[in-house]
Amino acid sequence: MKKLIILISMLLVAFSLTGCAPKKTVEITFKQNKPEIDAQLQAFAAAYEEETGVKVNIVSCGGSSCTLGDVLRSDYAAGEMPEIFPIDGIESYNEWKLIIDDLSNEEWVKDTDVSFKVDGKVVGFPVSIEGWGMAYNADLLEEAGVDPTTLTNYDAYAAAFAKIDGMKAELGIDSVVSMAAGPGMYWVTAHHNFNSLLSNGLPYGDRSVVDALLKGDIDETRFNEYADWVNLLFTYADNTVLTTGNYDSQVGAFLNQKAVFLHQGNWVDGNLSAATFDMAFAPHGSSKTATDGIFVSAPAWYVVNKDSENAQAAKDFLEFMVYNEIGQKYMVEEAGMIPAFKNITLEPKGKLSKSVMAWAKAGKIFSWQQYNFTGDFRDNTLGPIYNQLASKEATLDEFKALLKKALEDNAD
Amino acid sequence: MNKDKRKQKIAFWLFLAPVLFSFFMVQIIPFVIGVYYSFTNWSATAQPSIDFVGLKNYMEAFKDATFLYSTIITSIYTLANIILVNVIAFSLAMLVTTQIKGRNFYRAGFFLPNVIGGIILGYIWQYIFNQFIPTVGGIIGVKFLTENLMLADSKTALAALVIVSTWQYAGYIMMIYVAALQNVPRDLIEAAQIDGATPWQRFRSITIPMVRPAFTVTLFLTLVNSFKQFDVNASLTGVGPSTIFMGKAINGTTLLAMNISNTSLVLRNTALAQAKAILFFVVLVVFSLLQVYFSKKKEVEL
Amino acid sequence: MNRKITRNILEALAIMLVIFFIVPLFLVFINANKTNAEILNAPLSLPENWGTIFKNIANIWNNPNIRYSKALYSSVIVTFFSLAGITIFSAMGAWVLVRTKTKTSFAIFMMFVAAMVIPFQVVMFPLVKWFGTFQQWTGIPMLRSYFGIIIAYIGFGSSLSIFMFHGFMKSIPLDIEEAAYIDGCGRIKTFFLIVLPILKPIYVTILILNGIWIWNDFLLPLLVLGKGTPVQTIPLAVSNFAGAFVTSYDLLMTAIFMALVPVVIFFISAQKHIIKGMVEGSVK
Repeated sequence: MKKLIILISMLLVAFSLTGCAPKKTVEITFKQNKPEIDAQLQAFAAAYEEETGVKVNIVSCGGSSCTLGDVLRSDYAAGEMPEIFPIDGIESYNEWKLIIDDLSNEEWVKDTDVSFKVDGKVVGFPVSIEGWGMAYNADLLEEAGVDPTTLTNYDAYAAAFAKIDGMKAELGIDSVVSMAAGPGMYWVTAHHNFNSLLSNGLPYGDRSVVDALLKGDIDETRFNEYADWVNLLFTYADNTVLTTGNYDSQVGAFLNQKAVFLHQGNWVDGNLSAATFDMAFAPHGSSKTATDGIFVSAPAWYVVNKDSENAQAAKDFLEFMVYNEIGQKYMVEEAGMIPAFKNITLEPKGKLSKSVMAWAKAGKIFSWQQYNFTGDFRDNTLGPIYNQLASKEATLDEFKALLKKALEDNAD
Repeated sequence: MNKDKRKQKIAFWLFLAPVLFSFFMVQIIPFVIGVYYSFTNWSATAQPSIDFVGLKNYMEAFKDATFLYSTIITSIYTLANIILVNVIAFSLAMLVTTQIKGRNFYRAGFFLPNVIGGIILGYIWQYIFNQFIPTVGGIIGVKFLTENLMLADSKTALAALVIVSTWQYAGYIMMIYVAALQNVPRDLIEAAQIDGATPWQRFRSITIPMVRPAFTVTLFLTLVNSFKQFDVNASLTGVGPSTIFMGKAINGTTLLAMNISNTSLVLRNTALAQAKAILFFVVLVVFSLLQVYFSKKKEVEL
Repeated sequence: MNRKITRNILEALAIMLVIFFIVPLFLVFINANKTNAEILNAPLSLPENWGTIFKNIANIWNNPNIRYSKALYSSVIVTFFSLAGITIFSAMGAWVLVRTKTKTSFAIFMMFVAAMVIPFQVVMFPLVKWFGTFQQWTGIPMLRSYFGIIIAYIGFGSSLSIFMFHGFMKSIPLDIEEAAYIDGCGRIKTFFLIVLPILKPIYVTILILNGIWIWNDFLLPLLVLGKGTPVQTIPLAVSNFAGAFVTSYDLLMTAIFMALVPVVIFFISAQKHIIKGMVEGSVK
């Protein structure tokens, strides 16, 4: 009868296509969350297999179409954790720490300053170096008669913004700054911009402000100057992009020279390949005292699954990336990343990446401290507060009150 | 007599067996496991052990202000959707089952929005709300449209959600009404025509009762799918512009499904998300089963 | 005269409405013919080069990381067998549920209906875990296999289908079936030769509704089949176009267009069967 035939054919199909070939080659699975470099990674994996005979399965899942967190949890439930996967901070480390391997004895540890360390152990391989500041269109700034080297504090920015704003028609721009504070973009305000409050102007790795805030102690001067900086940015931003713009429209405005400044980091180089103008980073003006530096760190780290029988093969793969020419070329030239390792001399092509490297070489860098606050606090508590100011539903004073209360409530 | 009854019983279970097996495998068993997890500290990530915590997650869910807010706006959204989708879908169904030319093309056209989802839906409609409407407003001189973006304020963003999800879902529901309308026996209508009934009388006494089974299905589907809405929420408004609720600034268009997903991914509290989801299920299942029960009672059985 | 005016009004209304509904799809087609930069700058403009879509299609088809032809094959297999399973098994189940008026039957029916309310998040990870465990116990491949994903779709699709069949089966007069029994037809024959054909508009509708969902579904294959595994459906294969920072809108639009074409063809050809299934046979 019909259903029996269907059932049989179903089983036949299923069994024929899950056929097993005896696996003699070592295979590792590498999952990461930037689909735009999937092609480059696949090419690199193919080259690696030719060199070493080890097969590397690359799976890319990220952006708006796929959540790597869900995939990893599903893998864990299925008993199929990958050998290498990324973490972005202490929260994701804690989710997987039971299976994360100790990498302290790896060769590359000595060649990087930004590995991920917990309790003195190195557990994370830095994916790259990234940085953000106020990206500016050098050509338009010149036209407006503003010298970027003077942009190191609040007053300089206030004056520059006012000047450029008066010249909008001449410069052909819609707004001075391209800034986003709408839903989906809370990482710009509540992660990156918030970090100015935490570490702008402080020695690299200094946690004094962070620790004070976590206890509920708010330095009034620093806080008020920071809030004024946020207000300044919002005031000179395009309203549509600010309240409803997504990543593409925010970066697009800068690319099409409709804004002079862009509040993003060097990762936008991938979106700005068609840009015809010169660009670089300037510091954030969140304080009245000069803060001559930009925010630089590793954005994510690869960890190795210690329960896998191929953990050593995974570590070899990571080492290959750092010391073998093919690996270095992949990281810097194919994937366009700034290498986190001092032995690598290659430089990525992107203009903003080059700017980050220049600031880093000069030692003028501030750390990323936003991950000391939970993702929930940043996305669900801080984000909406910035959005209130952006949509003008809250005045500057109300914004300050909301922000203060949120920090106090969050304190232990 | 007994042999016949036994044959009937065997046939009953035999006919049900394949669908029951699949159903148990993928819905019942995982659901029971899921319910169990809601009473533990399960994290879906690497943890040394899964410990029983009793009602802790449920208590937390009740204390969560965002959960309350999401429940409120999801209920409003659902009510608006049920009315709008069914009225439009039924009207469209009536339209495409008349004798107008090209009705096949129209049927396909109205159904097509249901086929696109995700990123592209968001991309298209965000463009319409953020660029197209303000531009049109500028051209025809209505400043209100250029200055107030629907997606920038949480209340109007919710309205935008209703519009877009109606656009996306009406065609789907229309298909069910079409199937029901096609099922109305021609001869009944012809007999009534011969008997002298007016179109309105024919509609009321024949069409509506015959379409009743469809109403049970469509009311249920719009109720449940609106309450469960996630995809359009995620692609059109995301968590939404902020609003002040109970003294705090919170995300303004986070419907329930997104709140639960948020709890799992951003708060990284999978067990709490499970508890919220179970609460969500209990509330909705009570309402929807009541709706189905009463609707079924009114159906016509020949 | 009145009839003609009404008809013309209706036709005009229909055209306006349909434009509102399908304009976004035109946008997809137009944008599939532009470069990514063009799309970002001017989403509404007509493409400079109408031939771009063929280049994009070739790009996607030949891409070794996507393996589109294999994904197409897998999507077809999964969709076909899932649809067959859902339609036939649900119809069978619904029929006995309708014809048997016991408390058990009503309870089972309500259970199917209630399951439609279950939010997918509740069962997402337990499903993967359970499939893995079941695979270990019995050796039947559930994860990363056709069998597992097809069973999953039958399981998830059965609720709505049983619900719909149940409703419409009630409107089939019992005397037709009784006439068949008197004529000597067994239960199975009655079902397949008499009941099912009468329900043609319903089961074709169910095929369409389930087919479209299964064809475009991303989440269930992501969990049950996994990404980057040997068996990939089309939505899995093309998901890398949406990057974390850089989205290839031109390829994304093209991929959507490619997925749309079989859906539209299927829909239009299935339409005929909905109309054809008029209940001429019911009174006989």
